[in-house]
Amino acid sequence: MAKDVKPTRKNLMEIEDRIELSERGHGTLEKKRDGLIMEFMDILDKAQDVRGDLADDYEDAQKTINMARAMEGDVAVRGAAAALQEHPEITTESKNIMGVVVPQIESSRVSKSLDQRGYGIMGTSARIDEAAEAYEDLLESIILAAEVETAMKKMLREIETTKRRVNALEFKLLPDLYDSQEYIEQKLEEQEREETFRLKKIKDKKEQEERAEREAKDDVEETRAAATGDTAGTESEEMGQSTAGGVPGGD
Amino acid sequence: MSQEIAVVGSPEFTTGFRLAGVRRFENVPDDEKDASLDDAATAALEDEDVGIVVMHDDDLEYLSRGVRQEVETSVEPVVVTIGSGTGGGGLREQIKRAIGIDLMEEDEQD
Repeated sequence: MAKDVKPTRKNLMEIEDRIELSERGHGTLEKKRDGLIMEFMDILDKAQDVRGDLADDYEDAQKTINMARAMEGDVAVRGAAAALQEHPEITTESKNIMGVVVPQIESSRVSKSLDQRGYGIMGTSARIDEAAEAYEDLLESIILAAEVETAMKKMLREIETTKRRVNALEFKLLPDLYDSQEYIEQKLEEQEREETFRLKKIKDKKEQEERAEREAKDDVEETRAAATGDTAGTESEEMGQSTAGGVPGGD
Repeated sequence: MSQEIAVVGSPEFTTGFRLAGVRRFENVPDDEKDASLDDAATAALEDEDVGIVVMHDDDLEYLSRGVRQEVETSVEPVVVTIGSGTGGGGLREQIKRAIGIDLMEEDEQD
Protein backbone atom coordinates (compact mmCIF):
# COMPACT_ATOMS: atom_id res chain seq x y z
CA MET A 1 0.00 0.00 0.00
CA ALA A 2 0.95 3.61 -0.50
CA LYS A 3 1.26 4.25 3.25
CA ASP A 4 3.91 1.55 3.62
CA VAL A 5 6.55 3.37 1.61
CA LYS A 6 8.93 5.88 3.14
CA PRO A 7 8.44 9.32 1.61
CA THR A 8 11.99 9.87 0.40
CA ARG A 9 13.35 11.09 -2.92
CA LYS A 10 15.19 7.79 -3.41
CA ASN A 11 11.97 5.81 -3.06
CA LEU A 12 10.20 8.20 -5.43
CA MET A 13 12.88 7.67 -8.07
CA GLU A 14 12.68 3.89 -7.61
CA ILE A 15 8.88 3.96 -7.94
CA GLU A 16 9.10 6.11 -11.06
CA ASP A 17 11.50 3.56 -12.58
CA ARG A 18 9.14 0.71 -11.69
CA ILE A 19 6.17 2.59 -13.19
CA GLU A 20 8.10 3.09 -16.43
CA LEU A 21 9.03 -0.60 -16.57
CA SER A 22 5.52 -1.76 -15.69
CA GLU A 23 3.92 0.49 -18.31
CA ARG A 24 6.31 -0.83 -20.94
CA GLY A 25 5.63 -4.43 -19.85
CA HIS A 26 1.89 -3.78 -19.82
CA GLY A 27 1.99 -2.49 -23.40
CA THR A 28 4.06 -5.43 -24.59
CA LEU A 29 1.85 -7.99 -22.87
CA GLU A 30 -1.28 -6.35 -24.30
CA LYS A 31 0.20 -6.65 -27.79
CA LYS A 32 1.10 -10.29 -27.09
CA ARG A 33 -2.43 -11.03 -25.86
CA ASP A 34 -4.01 -9.40 -28.92
CA GLY A 35 -1.64 -11.27 -31.24
CA LEU A 36 -2.40 -14.58 -29.54
CA ILE A 37 -6.15 -13.95 -29.80
CA MET A 38 -5.80 -13.22 -33.53
CA GLU A 39 -3.78 -16.41 -34.07
CA PHE A 40 -6.33 -18.28 -31.96
CA MET A 41 -9.19 -17.02 -34.14
CA ASP A 42 -7.48 -18.51 -37.22
CA ILE A 43 -7.01 -21.84 -35.44
CA LEU A 44 -10.62 -21.75 -34.20
CA ASP A 45 -11.92 -21.41 -37.76
CA LYS A 46 -9.79 -24.37 -38.77
CA ALA A 47 -10.98 -26.31 -35.70
CA GLN A 48 -14.63 -25.72 -36.59
CA ASP A 49 -14.03 -27.14 -40.09
CA VAL A 50 -12.11 -30.11 -38.69
CA ARG A 51 -14.86 -30.76 -36.13
CA GLY A 52 -17.48 -30.71 -38.86
CA ASP A 53 -15.50 -33.20 -40.96
CA LEU A 54 -14.90 -35.35 -37.88
CA ALA A 55 -18.62 -35.53 -37.11
CA ASP A 56 -19.40 -36.49 -40.72
CA ASP A 57 -16.65 -39.11 -40.80
CA TYR A 58 -17.85 -40.59 -37.51
CA GLU A 59 -21.40 -40.78 -38.79
CA ASP A 60 -20.23 -42.51 -42.01
CA ALA A 61 -18.00 -44.90 -40.06
CA GLN A 62 -20.84 -45.80 -37.73
CA LYS A 63 -23.20 -46.43 -40.64
CA THR A 64 -20.71 -48.71 -42.40
CA ILE A 65 -19.80 -50.70 -39.29
CA ASN A 66 -23.47 -51.11 -38.36
CA MET A 67 -24.10 -52.37 -41.85
CA ALA A 68 -21.16 -54.78 -41.57
CA ARG A 69 -22.45 -55.98 -38.20
CA ALA A 70 -25.90 -56.48 -39.63
CA MET A 71 -24.68 -58.35 -42.67
CA GLU A 72 -21.73 -60.30 -41.30
CA GLY A 73 -22.51 -60.50 -37.64
CA ASP A 74 -20.71 -58.94 -34.68
CA VAL A 75 -18.38 -61.89 -34.23
CA ALA A 76 -17.06 -61.65 -37.79
CA VAL A 77 -16.41 -57.92 -37.42
CA ARG A 78 -14.61 -58.44 -34.10
CA GLY A 79 -12.63 -61.31 -35.60
CA ALA A 80 -11.47 -59.12 -38.47
CA ALA A 81 -10.63 -56.33 -36.01
CA ALA A 82 -8.51 -58.69 -33.90
CA ALA A 83 -6.57 -59.85 -36.97
CA LEU A 84 -5.12 -56.45 -37.84
CA GLN A 85 -1.32 -56.45 -37.99
CA GLU A 86 -0.42 -52.98 -39.21
CA HIS A 87 -0.90 -50.36 -36.52
CA PRO A 88 -1.13 -46.63 -37.08
CA GLU A 89 1.60 -44.55 -35.46
CA ILE A 90 1.99 -40.86 -34.91
CA THR A 91 5.09 -38.72 -34.59
CA THR A 92 4.98 -35.25 -33.14
CA GLU A 93 7.01 -32.25 -34.25
CA SER A 94 6.67 -28.82 -32.76
CA LYS A 95 5.93 -25.40 -34.21
CA ASN A 96 6.22 -22.05 -32.44
CA ILE A 97 3.33 -19.58 -32.60
CA MET A 98 4.16 -16.38 -30.66
CA GLY A 99 6.12 -18.28 -28.04
CA VAL A 100 3.59 -21.11 -27.75
CA VAL A 101 4.95 -24.47 -28.83
CA VAL A 102 2.19 -26.29 -30.69
CA PRO A 103 2.48 -29.81 -32.09
CA GLN A 104 2.42 -30.91 -35.68
CA ILE A 105 1.31 -34.51 -35.78
CA GLU A 106 2.47 -36.73 -38.58
CA SER A 107 0.77 -40.07 -38.98
CA SER A 108 1.92 -43.24 -40.66
CA ARG A 109 0.21 -46.50 -41.58
CA VAL A 110 -3.29 -45.12 -41.03
CA SER A 111 -4.68 -45.78 -44.50
CA LYS A 112 -3.87 -49.29 -45.61
CA SER A 113 -4.45 -51.27 -48.74
CA LEU A 114 -6.55 -54.41 -48.62
CA ASP A 115 -3.61 -56.80 -48.39
CA GLN A 116 -1.90 -54.74 -45.66
CA ARG A 117 -4.82 -55.10 -43.28
CA GLY A 118 -4.00 -58.62 -42.24
CA TYR A 119 -7.38 -60.30 -42.24
CA GLY A 120 -8.03 -62.79 -44.98
CA ILE A 121 -9.73 -61.52 -48.11
CA MET A 122 -11.63 -64.72 -48.61
CA GLY A 123 -13.09 -64.95 -45.14
CA THR A 124 -14.43 -61.40 -44.97
CA SER A 125 -16.82 -59.40 -47.06
CA ALA A 126 -16.64 -55.99 -48.72
CA ARG A 127 -18.77 -54.57 -45.87
CA ILE A 128 -15.94 -55.09 -43.43
CA ASP A 129 -13.48 -53.55 -45.90
CA GLU A 130 -15.75 -50.52 -46.21
CA ALA A 131 -16.00 -50.21 -42.44
CA ALA A 132 -12.22 -50.49 -42.07
CA GLU A 133 -11.75 -47.85 -44.73
CA ALA A 134 -14.29 -45.54 -43.09
CA TYR A 135 -12.56 -45.91 -39.73
CA GLU A 136 -9.18 -45.23 -41.34
CA ASP A 137 -10.60 -41.96 -42.70
CA LEU A 138 -12.02 -41.22 -39.27
CA LEU A 139 -8.59 -41.77 -37.72
CA GLU A 140 -7.08 -39.30 -40.19
CA SER A 141 -9.69 -36.73 -39.11
CA ILE A 142 -9.05 -37.52 -35.44
CA ILE A 143 -5.31 -36.95 -35.87
CA LEU A 144 -5.99 -33.60 -37.54
CA ALA A 145 -8.48 -32.68 -34.78
CA ALA A 146 -5.93 -33.68 -32.13
CA GLU A 147 -3.34 -31.39 -33.67
CA VAL A 148 -5.71 -28.44 -33.88
CA GLU A 149 -7.24 -29.00 -30.43
CA THR A 150 -3.85 -29.31 -28.75
CA ALA A 151 -2.81 -26.05 -30.39
CA MET A 152 -6.07 -24.46 -29.19
CA LYS A 153 -5.66 -25.70 -25.62
CA LYS A 154 -2.06 -24.51 -25.43
CA MET A 155 -2.91 -21.13 -26.91
CA LEU A 156 -5.88 -20.73 -24.57
CA ARG A 157 -3.64 -21.40 -21.59
CA GLU A 158 -1.14 -18.82 -22.83
CA ILE A 159 -3.91 -16.29 -23.52
CA GLU A 160 -5.29 -16.83 -20.02
CA THR A 161 -1.87 -16.40 -18.41
CA THR A 162 -1.11 -13.28 -20.46
CA LYS A 163 -4.56 -11.86 -19.70
CA ARG A 164 -4.01 -12.41 -15.96
CA ARG A 165 -0.63 -10.68 -16.16
CA VAL A 166 -2.10 -7.73 -18.09
CA ASN A 167 -4.97 -7.41 -15.59
CA ALA A 168 -2.62 -7.68 -12.60
CA LEU A 169 -0.48 -4.88 -14.02
CA GLU A 170 -3.45 -2.75 -15.06
CA PHE A 171 -5.66 -3.13 -11.99
CA LYS A 172 -3.25 -3.90 -9.15
CA LEU A 173 0.42 -3.12 -9.65
CA LEU A 174 0.20 0.13 -11.63
CA PRO A 175 -2.58 1.71 -9.46
CA ASP A 176 -0.56 0.85 -6.33
CA LEU A 177 2.57 2.37 -7.82
CA TYR A 178 0.68 5.52 -8.86
CA ASP A 179 -0.76 5.79 -5.32
CA SER A 180 2.69 5.43 -3.79
CA GLN A 181 4.10 8.00 -6.19
CA GLU A 182 1.33 10.48 -5.37
CA TYR A 183 1.72 9.84 -1.64
CA ILE A 184 5.48 10.45 -1.73
CA GLU A 185 5.08 13.55 -3.91
CA GLN A 186 2.48 15.00 -1.55
CA LYS A 187 4.59 14.20 1.50
CA LEU A 188 7.68 15.76 -0.09
CA GLU A 189 5.72 18.87 -1.07
CA GLU A 190 4.38 19.12 2.47
CA GLN A 191 7.88 18.77 3.86
CA GLU A 192 9.07 21.48 1.46
CA ARG A 193 6.24 23.82 2.54
CA GLU A 194 7.03 23.16 6.20
CA GLU A 195 10.70 23.85 5.54
CA THR A 196 9.89 27.14 3.76
CA PHE A 197 7.58 28.15 6.59
CA ARG A 198 10.20 27.26 9.18
CA LEU A 199 12.87 29.27 7.36
CA LYS A 200 10.50 32.20 7.08
CA LYS A 201 9.79 32.04 10.81
CA ILE A 202 13.48 31.83 11.64
CA LYS A 203 14.18 34.76 9.34
CA ASP A 204 11.41 36.80 10.98
CA LYS A 205 12.71 35.96 14.41
CA LYS A 206 16.25 36.84 13.42
CA GLU A 207 15.10 40.12 11.93
CA GLN A 208 13.13 40.86 15.07
CA GLU A 209 16.15 40.13 17.19
CA GLU A 210 18.35 42.30 14.99
CA ARG A 211 15.80 45.07 15.12
CA ALA A 212 15.60 44.82 18.89
CA GLU A 213 19.37 44.81 19.09
CA ARG A 214 19.61 47.81 16.80
CA GLU A 215 17.01 49.66 18.78
CA ALA A 216 18.78 48.84 22.01
CA LYS A 217 22.02 50.06 20.48
CA ASP A 218 20.35 53.25 19.28
CA ASP A 219 18.94 53.83 22.73
CA VAL A 220 22.33 53.40 24.28
CA GLU A 221 23.86 55.73 21.75
CA GLU A 222 21.14 58.27 22.29
CA THR A 223 21.56 58.05 26.02
CA ARG A 224 25.28 58.39 25.60
CA ALA A 225 24.83 61.28 23.22
CA ALA A 226 22.43 62.89 25.62
CA ALA A 227 24.85 62.33 28.42
CA THR A 228 27.70 63.82 26.36
CA GLY A 229 25.50 66.84 25.50
CA ASP A 230 24.77 67.49 29.18
CA THR A 231 28.45 67.40 30.09
CA ALA A 232 29.35 69.86 27.32
CA GLY A 233 26.63 72.29 28.47
CA THR A 234 27.87 72.25 32.03
CA GLU A 235 31.43 72.82 30.92
CA SER A 236 30.52 75.84 28.74
CA GLU A 237 28.43 77.23 31.54
CA GLU A 238 31.32 76.83 33.87
CA MET A 239 33.62 78.41 31.34
CA GLY A 240 31.22 81.34 30.94
CA GLN A 241 31.13 81.90 34.61
CA SER A 242 34.88 81.87 34.93
CA THR A 243 35.27 84.28 32.02
CA ALA A 244 32.78 86.65 33.56
CA GLY A 245 34.55 86.46 36.76
CA GLY A 246 37.96 86.69 35.15
CA VAL A 247 37.41 89.75 33.00
CA PRO A 248 36.79 91.89 35.87
CA GLY A 249 39.69 90.27 37.51
CA GLY A 250 41.79 90.89 34.41
CA ASP A 251 41.13 94.49 34.37
CA MET B 1 9.47 -40.84 -30.77
CA SER B 2 6.49 -42.52 -32.38
CA GLN B 3 3.33 -42.85 -30.35
CA GLU B 4 0.08 -44.74 -30.63
CA ILE B 5 -3.59 -43.93 -30.66
CA ALA B 6 -5.68 -45.30 -27.79
CA VAL B 7 -9.45 -45.77 -27.71
CA VAL B 8 -11.46 -45.88 -24.48
CA GLY B 9 -15.12 -46.84 -24.42
CA SER B 10 -17.66 -49.58 -24.90
CA PRO B 11 -16.71 -52.63 -27.04
CA GLU B 12 -19.08 -51.38 -29.78
CA PHE B 13 -17.21 -48.09 -29.86
CA THR B 14 -13.70 -49.55 -29.89
CA THR B 15 -14.29 -52.34 -32.46
CA GLY B 16 -14.37 -49.95 -35.41
CA PHE B 17 -11.07 -48.36 -34.40
CA ARG B 18 -9.52 -51.79 -33.98
CA LEU B 19 -10.62 -52.49 -37.52
CA ALA B 20 -8.53 -49.47 -38.56
CA GLY B 21 -5.52 -50.93 -36.74
CA VAL B 22 -5.67 -49.34 -33.29
CA ARG B 23 -4.25 -51.88 -30.85
CA ARG B 24 -4.26 -49.84 -27.64
CA PHE B 25 -7.84 -49.95 -26.41
CA GLU B 26 -9.71 -50.06 -23.11
CA ASN B 27 -13.00 -51.91 -23.34
CA VAL B 28 -15.49 -50.84 -20.69
CA PRO B 29 -18.99 -52.35 -21.05
CA ASP B 30 -21.86 -49.91 -20.59
CA ASP B 31 -22.98 -51.36 -17.25
CA GLU B 32 -19.45 -51.05 -15.80
CA LYS B 33 -18.75 -47.51 -16.95
CA ASP B 34 -19.62 -45.93 -13.60
CA ALA B 35 -17.12 -48.12 -11.81
CA SER B 36 -14.34 -48.72 -14.35
CA LEU B 37 -14.25 -45.85 -16.86
CA ASP B 38 -12.20 -43.61 -14.54
CA ASP B 39 -9.45 -46.23 -14.25
CA ALA B 40 -9.49 -46.99 -17.96
CA ALA B 41 -9.21 -43.30 -18.90
CA THR B 42 -6.46 -42.72 -16.34
CA ALA B 43 -4.51 -45.75 -17.61
CA ALA B 44 -4.67 -44.40 -21.18
CA LEU B 45 -3.67 -40.90 -20.08
CA GLU B 46 -0.71 -42.16 -18.05
CA ASP B 47 0.66 -44.36 -20.83
CA GLU B 48 3.66 -42.52 -22.29
CA ASP B 49 3.39 -44.40 -25.60
CA VAL B 50 -0.05 -42.93 -26.22
CA GLY B 51 -0.24 -39.63 -28.11
CA ILE B 52 -3.98 -39.40 -28.77
CA VAL B 53 -6.84 -40.80 -26.70
CA VAL B 54 -10.21 -41.18 -28.43
CA MET B 55 -13.39 -41.23 -26.34
CA HIS B 56 -17.11 -40.89 -26.93
CA ASP B 57 -18.65 -37.57 -25.83
CA ASP B 58 -21.37 -39.28 -23.81
CA ASP B 59 -18.78 -41.29 -21.85
CA LEU B 60 -17.48 -38.10 -20.23
CA GLU B 61 -20.62 -38.10 -18.08
CA TYR B 62 -19.45 -41.30 -16.37
CA LEU B 63 -16.09 -39.83 -15.35
CA SER B 64 -15.45 -38.41 -11.92
CA ARG B 65 -14.91 -34.67 -11.63
CA GLY B 66 -11.10 -34.87 -11.36
CA VAL B 67 -10.60 -37.34 -14.22
CA ARG B 68 -13.04 -35.43 -16.41
CA GLN B 69 -11.13 -32.20 -15.86
CA GLU B 70 -7.89 -34.00 -16.68
CA VAL B 71 -9.43 -35.43 -19.84
CA GLU B 72 -10.72 -32.02 -20.92
CA THR B 73 -7.49 -30.14 -20.36
CA SER B 74 -4.86 -32.78 -21.14
CA VAL B 75 -2.39 -31.84 -23.85
CA GLU B 76 -0.02 -34.80 -23.70
CA PRO B 77 -1.75 -37.02 -24.64
CA VAL B 78 -4.55 -35.01 -26.18
CA VAL B 79 -8.04 -36.42 -25.76
CA VAL B 80 -10.34 -36.17 -28.79
CA THR B 81 -14.00 -36.76 -28.03
CA ILE B 82 -16.43 -37.65 -30.80
CA GLY B 83 -20.10 -38.41 -30.92
CA SER B 84 -22.45 -35.60 -29.99
CA GLY B 85 -21.34 -33.27 -32.76
CA THR B 86 -20.55 -30.14 -30.74
CA GLY B 87 -17.34 -31.53 -29.25
CA GLY B 88 -14.96 -29.99 -26.76
CA GLY B 89 -17.28 -29.06 -23.91
CA GLY B 90 -14.28 -28.26 -21.75
CA LEU B 91 -12.69 -26.37 -24.59
CA ARG B 92 -15.76 -24.20 -24.90
CA GLU B 93 -15.60 -23.30 -21.21
CA GLN B 94 -11.89 -22.60 -21.54
CA ILE B 95 -12.55 -20.26 -24.49
CA LYS B 96 -15.23 -18.42 -22.51
CA ARG B 97 -12.83 -17.98 -19.61
CA ALA B 98 -9.80 -16.95 -21.66
CA ILE B 99 -11.35 -14.75 -24.35
CA GLY B 100 -14.43 -13.63 -22.45
CA ILE B 101 -16.87 -14.48 -25.23
CA ASP B 102 -18.50 -17.77 -26.20
CA LEU B 103 -16.98 -17.97 -29.68
CA MET B 104 -18.33 -21.45 -30.34
CA GLU B 105 -21.91 -20.27 -29.79
CA GLU B 106 -21.28 -17.57 -32.40
CA ASP B 107 -20.05 -20.19 -34.84
CA GLU B 108 -22.98 -22.47 -34.12
CA GLN B 109 -25.41 -19.65 -34.88
CA ASP B 110 -23.64 -19.02 -38.20
